Amino acid sequence: MYDAVIVGAGAAGLSAALGLLRSDRIRELKEQGLDPRILVISKLQPLRSHTGSAEGGIAASLGNIDRDDWHWHYYDTVKGGDWLVDQDAAALLARDAPATVIRLEHDGVAFSRTGDGHIAQRRFGGHTAEFGGEPVRRAAYAADRIGHQILHSLWQQCVAQGVEFAEEWYVTDLVLDGSRSHVAGVVAYDTHSGAVHAVHARNVLVATGGAGRLFRTTSNSWDLTGDGMALALAAGLQLEDVEFVQFHPTGLAHTGILLSEAARAEGGVLRNADGEAFMARYAPGHADLAARDVVSRSIMAEVDAGRGVADPKDPDGPKDCVWLDMTGIDGDHMEAVLPQVVETIRDYANIDPTTQYVPVKPTAHYTMGGIPITTDGEVYRWIPSDGETSDARRDVVEGLYAAGECSCVSVHGANRLGGNSLLDACLFGTRAGEAIAARVAESPVAQIELEGGDPADDEYAPLVDAAARTREDEAKTLLAGNAGDDAADAADADGGADATSDDNPYRLLADLGVAMERAVAVRCTAETIETALAMLRDDLVPRAAALRAHDGTPAFNQEVTAIWEARHLVALAEAMLRASESRAESRGSLRRLDFPRRDDERFLAHSMIELRDDRDPQAAKPRTRHDVSWQPVRIVDYPPKARAY
Amino acid sequence: MSTENDMVTVTLRVHRFTPRAERERPGRGANPFARKSSPFGSSARRRPRGKQWTQDYTLTVRPEDTVLDCLLRVKRTLDPTLAFRYSCGHGMCGSDAVAVNGTPMLICTATVAEWAKPDDPSVADDEGFRSTGASDADARPALGPGEHGVIELEPLPGFPVQRDLIADIDPMLDQIRRLRPYLEAKGELRTTADGKVNAFEYLQSPEELARYEQLTNCIACGVCEGSCPVFAGGDAFIGPAALIAASRFVNDSRDGKTMERLDAIDTADGVAACQSVRACGRQCPRGIDVGEEMWQIVAKVRER
Repeated sequence: MYDAVIVGAGAAGLSAALGLLRSDRIRELKEQGLDPRILVISKLQPLRSHTGSAEGGIAASLGNIDRDDWHWHYYDTVKGGDWLVDQDAAALLARDAPATVIRLEHDGVAFSRTGDGHIAQRRFGGHTAEFGGEPVRRAAYAADRIGHQILHSLWQQCVAQGVEFAEEWYVTDLVLDGSRSHVAGVVAYDTHSGAVHAVHARNVLVATGGAGRLFRTTSNSWDLTGDGMALALAAGLQLEDVEFVQFHPTGLAHTGILLSEAARAEGGVLRNADGEAFMARYAPGHADLAARDVVSRSIMAEVDAGRGVADPKDPDGPKDCVWLDMTGIDGDHMEAVLPQVVETIRDYANIDPTTQYVPVKPTAHYTMGGIPITTDGEVYRWIPSDGETSDARRDVVEGLYAAGECSCVSVHGANRLGGNSLLDACLFGTRAGEAIAARVAESPVAQIELEGGDPADDEYAPLVDAAARTREDEAKTLLAGNAGDDAADAADADGGADATSDDNPYRLLADLGVAMERAVAVRCTAETIETALAMLRDDLVPRAAALRAHDGTPAFNQEVTAIWEARHLVALAEAMLRASESRAESRGSLRRLDFPRRDDERFLAHSMIELRDDRDPQAAKPRTRHDVSWQPVRIVDYPPKARAY
Repeated sequence: MSTENDMVTVTLRVHRFTPRAERERPGRGANPFARKSSPFGSSARRRPRGKQWTQDYTLTVRPEDTVLDCLLRVKRTLDPTLAFRYSCGHGMCGSDAVAVNGTPMLICTATVAEWAKPDDPSVADDEGFRSTGASDADARPALGPGEHGVIELEPLPGFPVQRDLIADIDPMLDQIRRLRPYLEAKGELRTTADGKVNAFEYLQSPEELARYEQLTNCIACGVCEGSCPVFAGGDAFIGPAALIAASRFVNDSRDGKTMERLDAIDTADGVAACQSVRACGRQCPRGIDVGEEMWQIVAKVRER
């Protein structure tokens, strides 16, 4: 029995662990000799989390270079999110941002510095002074490796705190009580041995990151398979605003590898096939530093108008890229402030950015939506009003928390501003950790033991054990494979064998990525969504269900976890498509070509999607359907306006 | 797709291993003469039990494709059972350190053009030994369009193999953890009247930052350790990765534990075990001159 289990070891999970352990309540507890039982579970080794790939910066109105005010950051966040932002959360984000960045500095982050020794800051798209005025330098940075710095510093501080980690464990189930009002624990699969563990916990925090692997072209690592969101769906919880996926405008051509926005902040300019710096036409005054969705759509518009260019590596391929012109940046300066960008361009495109144009293309980057949480990180279910007896309300799932990209406190709304993701993960991760600390302090597991009780003697424990047994049986089935064909047979089959046994999760993932990209990348219509849903229904869903491992040795059998990941992504894809379908408007990152305008009348609201069992007694087997309800946006200070840049 | 003329055929020769189901008993003691895979002994510490074999996978690829691109294609189209770690795919996460033709490196940064060599059976014998001259990149003829090359892949040397190309690098992480790898600030913070720390960053000039900034780029991939003959040879050496982590804090003007940190590495298995071979820095994916940093930290230990 643990006091708290944290799933995920990126910025959000580690911030939560530190927020918890450094809280006054836990410090007092420790002084009484009662050590909290905390476990951080990660499907990766330490320090491999995708936080480490974030390049550009973390936003905070420190005002170290330009005069700044947190209210301006607050306003920019709301406007950037196309007013689909809960303003109570965004106010917290902006107000506590400077303290969050300074805490990171104290934790060891090697921030770049101003001449007088303060944390250096740079411009980032959509960050302005005076409520939408001149661009302001707000993104604190560490060359172009801010994510790496934050990930390593947080892990180092967790080492200092003696945090216990379960590495390369894959969480397969989030277990709640029957009424979905209380957390019971998680089931985890130890990839080293293939053992299934029932992990009982008073508190669980889900911090598993995003779901970029829904798309073929993505900046996300291979591990961003939407696990936490899929676990929440499977546990009968809702996802909020999952139709909003940010495409970063400058992926390195077809690789999807990200070139930081810092490249444009330092003077890089986007050009079309005619050499025109086209962003000035789409976003006067902001040009190349307009918000990301604006830039991504502008690039797509240029490509659609026949002014795109081909990836030079694929000269006969589609003209679906534009140029990023960095030749105006002084070479030495470029090396000094954009070393990672320069290295990526040289290594993966074989191009010298000081003299040559760089091909770029929008790449799936960030899921704005996710598991709905309060500003204290508590996961809740949105219960709409029944029109008569009860008002609409948020029902908190006791003991269940979420943070980071897999969650949705709704500070990003329909489109996230650059520099706000690390901030969200660190700030709301810390807050969630502190909230958990208060619950832990009330009745720590160690106290029960001290009083001679057995912490495992818990009303929810049998639920976790039952889920673990079911999962154990499934793992055995997966490992038993199809008629026991071994690796050599599979290798020799060469596509000619029986299609089912020849299928594998890696192939499925690739097919799903292509389908999703075609259907909803940057823009969509009811028709493209329907096409993708049909493909899921007729091909991908049955294939995912039929997957089996091609080798029976449980130790480090990556195919078993890949099968679960593929199933998670397929489930999430369906929810994302259904949510996109139900939002008949264009807002932020969601561009419905069949509904080109924002519709505040009907959709100034968060979509809350869940899976419901259709208990039709006539049906051969229980069917599930998606159900969408709408939660009004929380507007406090800034009523909706047109979002123009 | 590149035009067909640009494509090359490459055979990935993968040293595979499937562990036998684990039994609850300690492994046998290290025996440096029982090793098969590398003269520096990837299995020096604990010889794992199971099935070992070499498997060839042949693909038609673009010369600029990375070894990781190739292996992912193997998983998709040929053999989903092949095990190797990978995550970000562009050299930042540090998951995928593997010995490519005997040289430890990240497979997401190693390209086919650079590493495919003509299939020459004299390069590596049945025991996995190869003549040292063959690793000289300059002497190797580049693979031309339409030609056939071989890339040999083995798990990172110096660590026990767990399955196929997956090695157990926990010993390195344990060594890093042992040296208190976290900022312990001098406490030069201003404090408010009620005892709370006020909201200011520790000041640090760009020059002070420059003294340790590059060391913070370490991604703990283990390439330096797999390249170090002392570490990979199975000695108790704390290893270059842990020393880089220690050096990072020694050189950080904000840290107040310099003397304690230098004391902690001034041991027989600490800096004294470094033989200044300087193999550690040659393939560092973050461009850290690990050998030079070792030299610097040794000097600091001596001078204190």
